[in-house]
Amino acid sequence: MTESQYGGGMMPAGRQARPPAYDRPQPDSLADLLERVLDKGVVLAGDIRVNLLDIELLTIKIRLLLVSVDKAVEMGIDWWRHDPSLSSKAAEEHDALQQENARLRERLDALEGGPSGRQDRLEPASSDQDAERVDDETPAAETERAQR
Amino acid sequence: MSDVTNEPMAEPMGGGPAESIGAGTASYVYLAARDIPDDAVAGITGLESQPVRLVRNAGLTAVVSTVDLAEFGEDGLRRNLEDLAWLEHVARSHNGVVHHFGRQTAVAPWRLATIMLDDERVAGLLADWEHQLKASLDRVAGCSEWSVKMITELSADQRTETDQPTSGTAYLQRRRAEYSRQNSAQEQAAAAADRVHATLSGLTAASRRLPPQDRRLTGHRGEMMLNGAYLVPDDRSEEFSALVGELGADLPESRLELGGPWPPYSFATLETGA
Repeated sequence: MTESQYGGGMMPAGRQARPPAYDRPQPDSLADLLERVLDKGVVLAGDIRVNLLDIELLTIKIRLLLVSVDKAVEMGIDWWRHDPSLSSKAAEEHDALQQENARLRERLDALEGGPSGRQDRLEPASSDQDAERVDDETPAAETERAQR
Repeated sequence: MSDVTNEPMAEPMGGGPAESIGAGTASYVYLAARDIPDDAVAGITGLESQPVRLVRNAGLTAVVSTVDLAEFGEDGLRRNLEDLAWLEHVARSHNGVVHHFGRQTAVAPWRLATIMLDDERVAGLLADWEHQLKASLDRVAGCSEWSVKMITELSADQRTETDQPTSGTAYLQRRRAEYSRQNSAQEQAAAAADRVHATLSGLTAASRRLPPQDRRLTGHRGEMMLNGAYLVPDDRSEEFSALVGELGADLPESRLELGGPWPPYSFATLETGA
C-alpha cells in the first residue's frame, strides 16, 4: 500500500529549477493548524460536551485576532521580524532617525560651541578656531535645508 | 455488527455518577484508522506526555491517550479554550500524533478535544459511525493534504506620483483613479486565483477553498486571494508542487505559497450535525 509522506510541512520532493515566484513552504503556521484542527476532521460529539459556540467564538476570535501583537509573538507568529522587506523598511526608519539625530546633535554643538559658550569655558585658542568652523557650517546647512 | 454495544453506556462505565465529570481521567481521541499494529504505538506520547494506545472496534482503530478531566473536563475546556497558549500547545500535540500515524496509514483526524469518558465509549463511537468513518478513510487513502495560498500585493506599485495635488479636485481625481485601478487589480487577482484553483483541482483527488486568513493573525502582506486545500495522491506530489511553481511564475503581482503535506484534515471529514 502507498505510504503517506507527510514531511512536517517541509519541502516537497520536486525541487528542481524552482521559479523565483515560488515561495518556500513555511513550517506549519498556527493559523493553518488551527483552521484545520478546530474546523475540520471528524466532528463527533464526545462525552465531554463543550458548547460548540465556545469553539466557534474562539475561532472567530482567532480570525479577528483579538489578540495582541505580544501574544502573537508568544504564539510564534513573528515572522514579520525576519521579513526582508519589512526589516529593510525598519532599517530605513532607523537610518532616518539617525540622520535626524545627527542634525540635532550638530545644532546643539553649534549652540553650545558658539563663541559665547566657548568663552565661558575658557577654551584654548585652537578650540576657538574649531568652534568658528562649526559656526560657519551651520548656517550653510540651514540654507541648504531651506532650499529643498 | 460490533462486539461493543452502545445502549448500556448511557451511564458512563467506570466513571460513576454524572457529577464526576470534571474529576478523574478520560480518553482523548486523536484519529481513526482502519488498522494500526500494536507495536506502532510503542514509545509514542500525546498530550501531557501520556503514552498513546489503541482502541479497536468494528474494523476500525482509534488512537487515544488519557487526559485529566480537571484540564479537559467541561469546565476546564471552556476555560482553557480561551487561552491561546494552551490551545496552541494542545493543537500541536494533537497534530503531532496525527502526523505520526498519518505517515504510516490512512487516517481520519478527529477534531481537537474530542473526549470520551473511557475507552469503551470510544469503541462505541467507532461502531456507531463505522460506515461513515470507513468511507472517509477510503476517500483519503494514499493521499495527503497540501495548502496553496495566493497572496497579491494590490497597492504595491501605486505610489509613483511624487507631485503634490495642486487642488482639492486634483486630489479627488487622483484618489478616484487609484480606487478604480485597485478595483480592477482586485478583479484580475480574483480571476487569477480562480484559475489557479481550477488548474490545481484538475490534478488532485479533491479540493476545497477555505476562507482567506486574517493578516493580523498570519502577518502576511497583501491580500490572500486564495486559501486552497488540495488532496493530492502521494505519487503525484512532485507533479503538484512543480505545477504550483509554474503557476506562480506566471503571476507577476502575486506569489503562491505551498504548505504541506499534512494529514487530510480538510478531507477526512465527518459531521453529524448533532
